[in-house]
Amino acid sequence: MTLDLTQFHEIFFEESFEALDSMEAALLKLSAGEVDAELINTIFRVAHSIKGGAATFAFNEVAGFTHVLETLLDQLRAGKRQVRPDIVDVLLRSGDAMRAMLVATQRKEAIDSAGVAKLRAELERIMSESPSAAPPAAATAAPSASKSVAASGSPAPAPGWRIKFVPGPELLRHGNDPLRILRELATLGKMRVSVDAAGVPALTDLDPEVCRLRWNLEVLGQIDRAAVQAVFEWAESECELTLERIGAEPSAPAAPSVATAPAPEAATAPVSAPAAEASTRSANPDGGSIRVSIEKIDELLNSVGELVITQSVLSQLAAPLEGREAGELRSALAQLERHMRALQESVMRVRMLPISFVFNRFPRLVRDLGQRLGKKIELKVTGDTTELDKTVLEKIGDPLVHLVRNSIDHGIEMPDVRTAAGKTEHGTISLHAYHKGGNVIVEVSDDGGGLRKDKILAKALERGLVTNEVELSEERILNLIFAPGFSTADVVSDVSGRGVGMDVVRRNINELGGHIQIFSTQGQGSTIRIRLPLTLAILDGQLARVGKEVYVVPIVSIVETIQVTRERVNNVASGGQVFRLRDDYLPIVRLHSLFDIEPDYTDLLDGLLMIVEADGKRVGLFVDELMSQQQVVIKSLETNFKQVTGLAGATMLGDGRVALILDIPGVITRFQAPEERGIAKPQAA
Amino acid sequence: MAPAAAARTGRVVLGTSCTIQEAAAVRAHLLAQAALPGPYEIDGGSVELVDTAGVQLIVAFALDCLEKGVAYKWSGRSATLDAAIELLGVSPLLEYPA
Repeated sequence: MTLDLTQFHEIFFEESFEALDSMEAALLKLSAGEVDAELINTIFRVAHSIKGGAATFAFNEVAGFTHVLETLLDQLRAGKRQVRPDIVDVLLRSGDAMRAMLVATQRKEAIDSAGVAKLRAELERIMSESPSAAPPAAATAAPSASKSVAASGSPAPAPGWRIKFVPGPELLRHGNDPLRILRELATLGKMRVSVDAAGVPALTDLDPEVCRLRWNLEVLGQIDRAAVQAVFEWAESECELTLERIGAEPSAPAAPSVATAPAPEAATAPVSAPAAEASTRSANPDGGSIRVSIEKIDELLNSVGELVITQSVLSQLAAPLEGREAGELRSALAQLERHMRALQESVMRVRMLPISFVFNRFPRLVRDLGQRLGKKIELKVTGDTTELDKTVLEKIGDPLVHLVRNSIDHGIEMPDVRTAAGKTEHGTISLHAYHKGGNVIVEVSDDGGGLRKDKILAKALERGLVTNEVELSEERILNLIFAPGFSTADVVSDVSGRGVGMDVVRRNINELGGHIQIFSTQGQGSTIRIRLPLTLAILDGQLARVGKEVYVVPIVSIVETIQVTRERVNNVASGGQVFRLRDDYLPIVRLHSLFDIEPDYTDLLDGLLMIVEADGKRVGLFVDELMSQQQVVIKSLETNFKQVTGLAGATMLGDGRVALILDIPGVITRFQAPEERGIAKPQAA
Repeated sequence: MAPAAAARTGRVVLGTSCTIQEAAAVRAHLLAQAALPGPYEIDGGSVELVDTAGVQLIVAFALDCLEKGVAYKWSGRSATLDAAIELLGVSPLLEYPA
């Protein structure tokens, strides 16, 4: 049998990207001046395990570069070199380079070898500088411990680790080679190897892909547990591993930039570690969680959605029944409904991830952009444990990046400007997430200069977006920044200011069924508030009937519903009609015309007009009547039929009927440009 | 009458790669040679790539020899193979004198 290592590539990439995120977070803490040994260890472990994995899968460029990075990190870890801001910069860029190399490898694209070589040269240059660090604390602690032992008259065992390594049956098949593991262990210190071959059967009975050898190892030196564990990181769930410290516990971790005297306890530290020090790690330390593909969860969610519909159908069938047994049936169905809702919520929670997955990218962004623009900015993050559906999270990332970049570039002022305005030199950008009324609210705030309403209005007048005749509310003025191509930036930079973006931000948020608002006070700062649905699988909808068809209108798109009066309706030259709503004239969209169905009413006075909004455009949707509001489970039309402009999906109602869910931006597009999409132009009436 | 030709003894020749990828083939080769009379000769001079699975097969072959009391000798061991044997600590198991 040939072992196909490619089956493990995706797991490797996924875990490596997560590990690089932790590495970046740790580097940013280092950058902020918080130097502690565990941070350096975290960074080292990431480099080490990626190197090991890359070498196993023969991703040689990744392994080669990471090896150089690891060497520098090892120097920092051992205290041979001090952490300096320029080194942190190079390390951050090295993390970026590793990510780019992994992405290229994953996509089977060429790696930017020139860029990697340049960075590698920088790492090597740093390593060629004469070390200036203080001796590592652990190294200074050891002699003290030895002295103490010598005084007591018994020789001190050399410090290190005793390791019992029993490979599991799948270890070799999963590409974990003990030879590689032992080779890496040997780099940590002097290694003694004792093999136990008692489990090796006769050649005729040996499965060559199962490792029957076991090892008792001793690795000697001042080595911390994390470094030993890191060597086994890829194999830990497929072997039995027992670590036992030999000799005294180091008195202090090897702090890289802090020259410390040995801790007083070192002299009296116990010579041998207690038995409890030994740890068996035969099980996965992260045994509380498993990786499940999103497709499997979606299948589960879909099945639950079907059950909810079936339960709803049963409830409707039971409603007209009479008698004692019918009462019992209804009671049982009510209980079933409660359980179904609980089940549905549980499955939905599986898809939920904390918003920190998105927020985590911002410390780096704020640091890098702030430095580049010469601004001093502090980032405050609150509510990052707030959970959102994975799909929503994936789609909210880019809009948030845009908003934060805008705050850095246009919001926060230069330090001298802030000081002159009586503010602190440091600006603050806040990211805040919280639950409110079944939605998640995400706010991006800054304490910068705020939006200049006069400037926005002047620009809008210049571009003909508004006229002088209408007096706009403050909210409407601020909302002008969402117009396509709108920018008031004096300087167009590569950070922002080209006017490409805020319209896209709003469109992305709207596509998620969310809503965006701006609040700004000149001189004090701005807040962008985004309201997002918890999930895309369920929608709060208003049911509206047109003839025999029922449509679901997303509640988030509805502004208000009104009865039409004749004097407010005007016919326009193109054959359409508009409705006067206060100071606005809104086009009337007849759903029956748009979707070519037979309505009960064609006279506007008989039906209702639902005012809906998308992308800053409002239209009046003419329907026969409004029905109830309810949460509906969204079924994809694209998956089950085909994409239809104006429809976001379908759902099944309690009576078994299928209702189509309207996509309001699509409805407006379909209404405005039917010919472009091969749609017959709807009639005015 | 001409004397009968002496039976051919087993000779294990390891290829350039002796890893889990070739493990099934190496095992078959070892079994085939083990079926021949000893003493055996093992030639590992060409090995450029080796892993634990490869070394374990050689160990199993050597332990079989030890159990059957059949001697073997190494006619060659590449530096790569030597390093792997040393690192895995199996060197004493592969020194049954011919």
